[in-house]
Amino acid sequence: MTSLLILIPLFSVMVLNLPSRTMMRRFAFWLSLILAASQVCLAAFFGTDLWNNANISGSFFQFNLAVDNLSRVMLFSIGIVVLAAILAGRELIKDENRQFNFTNLMLLILAGMNGVVTTVDVFSLYVFMEITAVASFVLISLQKDRDALEASFKYIIFSALASVMMLAAIALLLMVSGETGFPGISHALSNLPTSRLTLLAVSIFICGLFIKGGAMPFHGWLPDAYSAAPAPVSILLAGIVTKTLGIYTLIRIVGFVLSPNYALNNILLLVGTISIVAGALAALGQKDLKRMLSYSSISQVGYIIIGLGCGTPLGIFGAIFHLFNHSIFKSLLFTNSAAVESRTNTRNMEELGGLAERMPCTGTTSIIGFLSAAGIPPLSGFWSKIIIVVALWQAGFHAYSAIAVMAGAITLAYFLSMQRRVFFGKIKEELKSTKEANFNLLLPALLLAAITVGAGILFPFVHDTFITSFFK
Amino acid sequence: MDNVLLLFLIVPLIAGILALLIPKKVRGPVEVIVLSATGLNLLLAAVFFKSNLAYFCPWVPAIGLDFSLRFYHFSAFIILATAAFGFLIALYSTVSLSDKTYAKHFFAYFLITIGLVNGAVLSDNLLLLLFFWEGMLVTLFLMIAVGNKSAFKTAAKALIIVGITDLCLMVGIVLTGHLAGTRTISGINLPLDALGGLAFVFLMIGAISKAGSMPFHSWIPDAALDAPLPFMAFLPGALEKLVGIYLLSRISLDLFQLHPGSWVSTMLMIVGAVTIILAVMMALVQKDYKRLLSYHAISQVGYMVLGIGTAIPIGIIGGLFHMINNAMYKSCLFLTGGAVEKQAGTTDLEKLGGLGLKMPITFACFIVAAVSISGVPPFNGFFSKELIYDSALERNLIFYLVAVIGSFFTAASFLKLGHAAFLGKLRDEHRNVKEAPPLMLVPMIIIALGCIVFGIYNKLPIHALIQPILSPERLEGHQFAGWPANTALVVITIIVLAGAFLNHRFGVKKKGSGLKAVDHIHYAPVLHIIYDKAEKRFFDPYNIGLKIINIISEIAWRCDRAIDWVYDTLVVKVTYACTNQIRKAHTGNYATYLVWSLVGFLLIAVFLLQSGKM
Repeated sequence: MTSLLILIPLFSVMVLNLPSRTMMRRFAFWLSLILAASQVCLAAFFGTDLWNNANISGSFFQFNLAVDNLSRVMLFSIGIVVLAAILAGRELIKDENRQFNFTNLMLLILAGMNGVVTTVDVFSLYVFMEITAVASFVLISLQKDRDALEASFKYIIFSALASVMMLAAIALLLMVSGETGFPGISHALSNLPTSRLTLLAVSIFICGLFIKGGAMPFHGWLPDAYSAAPAPVSILLAGIVTKTLGIYTLIRIVGFVLSPNYALNNILLLVGTISIVAGALAALGQKDLKRMLSYSSISQVGYIIIGLGCGTPLGIFGAIFHLFNHSIFKSLLFTNSAAVESRTNTRNMEELGGLAERMPCTGTTSIIGFLSAAGIPPLSGFWSKIIIVVALWQAGFHAYSAIAVMAGAITLAYFLSMQRRVFFGKIKEELKSTKEANFNLLLPALLLAAITVGAGILFPFVHDTFITSFFK
Repeated sequence: MDNVLLLFLIVPLIAGILALLIPKKVRGPVEVIVLSATGLNLLLAAVFFKSNLAYFCPWVPAIGLDFSLRFYHFSAFIILATAAFGFLIALYSTVSLSDKTYAKHFFAYFLITIGLVNGAVLSDNLLLLLFFWEGMLVTLFLMIAVGNKSAFKTAAKALIIVGITDLCLMVGIVLTGHLAGTRTISGINLPLDALGGLAFVFLMIGAISKAGSMPFHSWIPDAALDAPLPFMAFLPGALEKLVGIYLLSRISLDLFQLHPGSWVSTMLMIVGAVTIILAVMMALVQKDYKRLLSYHAISQVGYMVLGIGTAIPIGIIGGLFHMINNAMYKSCLFLTGGAVEKQAGTTDLEKLGGLGLKMPITFACFIVAAVSISGVPPFNGFFSKELIYDSALERNLIFYLVAVIGSFFTAASFLKLGHAAFLGKLRDEHRNVKEAPPLMLVPMIIIALGCIVFGIYNKLPIHALIQPILSPERLEGHQFAGWPANTALVVITIIVLAGAFLNHRFGVKKKGSGLKAVDHIHYAPVLHIIYDKAEKRFFDPYNIGLKIINIISEIAWRCDRAIDWVYDTLVVKVTYACTNQIRKAHTGNYATYLVWSLVGFLLIAVFLLQSGKM
């Protein structure tokens, strides 16, 4: 059953590209939309039992797949962000041919990410990451303008480096444990005496993941890639792709495969804190709306990493919950920036102002998004941040906890400054004729805002459904 | 029948509200309302004087607040006195305020104050008492505030001082109610143990501050200059002494078991003695008619507090007798001051002189009231002071000495005041000054006659009004009316008064002017330094409090600035410095970025390998 998550998108791509592709073009959008929407519904309403029974994959592939609660959260996030990106893409990518390519790549990337979050084998993990990454390179450079190509190139370089590191690490782990499956590696590492080889493998592996996830100081490719990519691709990249490739995998490996390690936790805390503070400070100085959101992304990733770094079940839960929240509110903010860019043809915040008057829906959902990112109750971002802060405090990392709280003030500062420069104040003369964004951009914005508000207000439900299952 | 008690509240309060509602331009009806309301009030008090009435109506039982009034000999006495003063001062004010624009508001607050005073005196429930007491604070503020331009500041000062002491009263009431388990005044009789003593002190602060005792006095001399004159005759002169001392004697006689020799008694006597001497020293050097009187209004409270504080029957009788005597001669003195102000246009003693011949009736009333306050036999002040001297001597010689010295200075300052205002050379601009109008003279004459009657025939007030307040057991059959029992003290008093007169003659001869008769005391070595500072309000507890609060607020302000600077300047600058550094580091050159990543990787690998265990 789980393998269908990968197989259906893959087969869809094949079917769409059969010789009759001109006929299929019309269906491409709806097909991808239905796939993403059904994934969201299935992940939201059915437990892990549905996925794990009747595993039919064995007869076709050697992939070993399993869905636990973490995978389920990720499947939901992947579905919702892909949905938002597809809707935005229909609106923003005008050229029919390019739009068809975009849809194909979306399906491919959907298959790749579903594979990443369901596999239980490091080598399969690597394969799915490559599928996703390659699709991303093409997506970033879809417009074929100079900036996009340069950004795509940077991403390829860094991604290649990360791939090499991960392959090397997988090889080393294979040497040490003789297995590539998660349970096998976990078993082997906890029973064997620690060797330098293992430590080297681990350090190479997590550095590869830091590059993929864009933690400081491994983030060099990220601001360019996010801001130069077409708007729908930005939503996808910032919202879910790098989070799945880098951060989900980091959580999976550090939290569930490796045995607890004090030194490793220290590294995570330090890298996380650097990302939080430096990312937020860098965001404060940006003029480009999407660049600011990119640096904010680095900062938020830092929160996830320090949550993971505190090593306690509560911390890991906080990290996962923040990962989920981040994919929701960051996609929302990138959707809003796409709406603004589509109407005003600029992302420079100095040239904008007072848009809330003309684009009330975009302005309001943007407020919800940034308040959630800054951790203001009762939005969902508040709960995940407070859990991380509490977990850090309980684990005895008081200084990190304090930094995390104070960085929240900088977060609020740059988001408020963004909101003020773009949406508040008096509308500029040349923007007077601006219209509200089209339905295809408003729908994902409203949907994501509703999830942010809902998950915040219904936090007790989230708590009862997920926290308890993580603490089992 | 008992419902008639409500009239004491309803009549003045309704009349006051009516007076407020009447349009500003219509003058006649306001005066009619004031006179008829105060007259009706006086009539009611006189008719029911001998009755014993009680009114009870549950109000908020949950907090022990009942609308419970009690009219018996003590409260009847105060109500009657209040009503009499109210009526006379209303009569006087209809003329003296006839040209003032604020007359309507003054009369409205005046009537409401009478209603509230009646309520406070009648209440038999501590919380109800507090309700009326706080109401009096509001009208006090309003009555001062309608005066001249700087009156608002003085009104605020009075509001703050009296407001703080009213808070003490509130604490005392809550504590007393808690200790006694009831809030019905007539049902409380507590011993003065540790908590009881604390409750007593809080209640006492509320009471003596209303009476104007030190150290809660400092708004009174300011109000003398800023507030409308009838206000001074009415509130600090008469009514506040009556209710303040009424409450003080209620708490000392009924609510608590005050014994001679207890620390509370000694404390009261010290407060009284200090008030007597310090206030009279200040009065001595004043150069303004009204301000001089206002310091005496403070100083005389000292005698009452001292008398009641002795906790022996003769002292309590003396204190209460002094209370009614003081209300009479003090309001009479203020009224003469008002007459002088109205006719001569000023109360500055430097600009007055020789008015005795122009205003003979006013001068005569002044003389009667002045000799009464100085304690010259056979006027009323003499008899009450002798009772207080007797009780003070019985407790401790030092208190007696302070009281007698106070008397000396009182006499000296009134010799100076009378000499400066009514004797000496008439000024040219006062050639055409006439005697005050009859309606102003009548109240003065009536009160002055009262001073004489209460002196010569002191049996009347003492037997009818004051002795019933103490239970027969406490009186032990003593008689306090008639000529003082202790002849030696009378002789000393007369010697002291003669000394004051000689001192005045000496001063006049030395400086050649009645006004400067006490300059040899004012400018005596050491004393003049203290006087200078006192005149600059250096010792005013209110000003000291203000200074302390200013210092605190200055410190708080600086802290606030510092915190502000940290947030607004330091944090922002540091943040933007960091932001700029980070922005500069991001050159867009991917080789640099790659180097960062590799360095990061190396550091992590080295750290993890160094840590050595998994």
